[in-house]
Amino acid sequence: MRILVCVKQLLEPETPLCIDESGRWVNISQTTPRQMNRFDEYALEQALVIREQTPDTTVDAISAGPESCSTVVRRALGMGADHGIHLLTGDQGYVSPIRTASCIALAARSRKYDLILAGVMSEDMAQGLVGPMVAEMLSLPCATSCIFVRVELAKASVYVEREIEGGRRQALELDLPALVSIQSGINKPRYPSLSNIMRANRQKLEVISTVAAEPSRSCEDLLHLSYPRKTRAGVLLEGTRKDKARQLLRVFRERSLLH
Amino acid sequence: METTVAVVAEHRLGLVNPVTYEAIACALEILRIRPSRLVTITIGEDSEEAGRQIAAKTGSQVLALKVPGLEEFNGDAYRTILAGLLAELEPAWVCIPGTSQGLDFSPGLAVRLGQCCISNVERVVERDGEPAFARSLFNGKIVAELSSLIAKTLLMVQPGAFSAVFTGSHSPGVVETRTIEWKSTHIRSLGFRIAQSADSALAEASVIVSAGRGVGSKENLDLVRRVASLFSKSTIAGSRPLCDLGWLPYQLQVGQTGATVTPDLYLACGISGAQQHLAGMGGSKFIVAVNTDPNAAIFNVADVGVVDDLEGFLSDLLEESNACSHK
Repeated sequence: MRILVCVKQLLEPETPLCIDESGRWVNISQTTPRQMNRFDEYALEQALVIREQTPDTTVDAISAGPESCSTVVRRALGMGADHGIHLLTGDQGYVSPIRTASCIALAARSRKYDLILAGVMSEDMAQGLVGPMVAEMLSLPCATSCIFVRVELAKASVYVEREIEGGRRQALELDLPALVSIQSGINKPRYPSLSNIMRANRQKLEVISTVAAEPSRSCEDLLHLSYPRKTRAGVLLEGTRKDKARQLLRVFRERSLLH
Repeated sequence: METTVAVVAEHRLGLVNPVTYEAIACALEILRIRPSRLVTITIGEDSEEAGRQIAAKTGSQVLALKVPGLEEFNGDAYRTILAGLLAELEPAWVCIPGTSQGLDFSPGLAVRLGQCCISNVERVVERDGEPAFARSLFNGKIVAELSSLIAKTLLMVQPGAFSAVFTGSHSPGVVETRTIEWKSTHIRSLGFRIAQSADSALAEASVIVSAGRGVGSKENLDLVRRVASLFSKSTIAGSRPLCDLGWLPYQLQVGQTGATVTPDLYLACGISGAQQHLAGMGGSKFIVAVNTDPNAAIFNVADVGVVDDLEGFLSDLLEESNACSHK
């Protein structure tokens, strides 16, 4: 079977962020460290597990974004994906999820994947929109936030369990081809292996420029960015570490939390 | 023609999920900016029963779509049924609880209807006489305001962000029922199961010392445990990323996909403060945050904050506490 995994590159979560002069995005330099979206690592790992269990399976990884995104596609190859696709966009700043989904759907349509996997959301935007939007654009059945996935080739279906609130799971059977978004914790994502990294460095990525064929519709406008307002006092304790420890213990006692 | 704001309710076996009232609270804020007709939609076998409760509590007009055989949520059913109904009602805004259910059917529905889709809406603001919507980005470090470029928008409402206070001073809304046939096609429901319910210690504790990925190593969890043991009726807990690492069982996870807690003290250790976590602990009576990152979003919801190395600070806290108790 043919599997496609959507991966996204993002800034390391600890990166200090500063709103830029336009007020509509943050300052990002070329040297700002980047990494693969954590949720996508789980999706890719799941694809690799399915490949181990299912004969004649190939795993493609796809990412839409500027030049820098090629490293996240290479990382996917390093983890074990067979083929990497980079949808090269000229996008800067906020990118509408409908645009990213349109780019991925356009590239995926002709390739006849049996299963498309995506992380449940990205860590930076936390929207959870691109995966299910791709599914709708390709008229595929879709299940989100899956914490268990089992392909049943004989029935041309996939059995999934969606993680829902209150510690419950919803069990579903989807006809293939389908799109499944993966919740974190479903597996333990592997680290890239040395042999795969060497292969990834030799291997050519398939680069598709989306600038010409670009489906450019955006449905929403990012008006401006701001820093969050405080909803509580947020008094920062000051002094040496020991001073702060003593102050905090005093606060606990004053509130009768400690005796 | 008067514009319409619709709410898609969340309910199961005749019980209304309280997030529904939060979505209605969001809709009422839109109504304040753009006076409109409010309609709440319920879907499924139990739509009338759920609809009556909502109409009584909020005064909202309710459209109950009775779907024989649809006892549980099914994304395919919701997309198909709502695509038909929304094309007819033409609401300018649809407020949907941003739960695992809302996040499952809404994005596809927006694509199908060619509508704008904004998820995790935390606030409604007025910009040039029109509603715009605020949501968090980058683990809560930045807030973005988004507005729709097209006339119709689906909004997924962040659980816990809107307070649903409804007084009894209204007459119950009218409940209109329609029966709709639907047959499952490419997605078949195979029921539900309990995977892990939250540890009862979380609900019982008056002090929760909670760890995030910022604890750095599994060994440091021992410090967190020892800090917790300073308090009576306490427990440790963790954020989702910490549980994903396998350092704590999911039964001790606090957040949108874990337990919702309201202890007397929530001591957040190395937790960044993403919306998904705040949804589970924002109602705690007193919140103390310890983090190395002075810009971590958790400080915005904390009563008291400590910017410091976690391992060092917790060690000092234990040491000072010992020193005091021996005086």
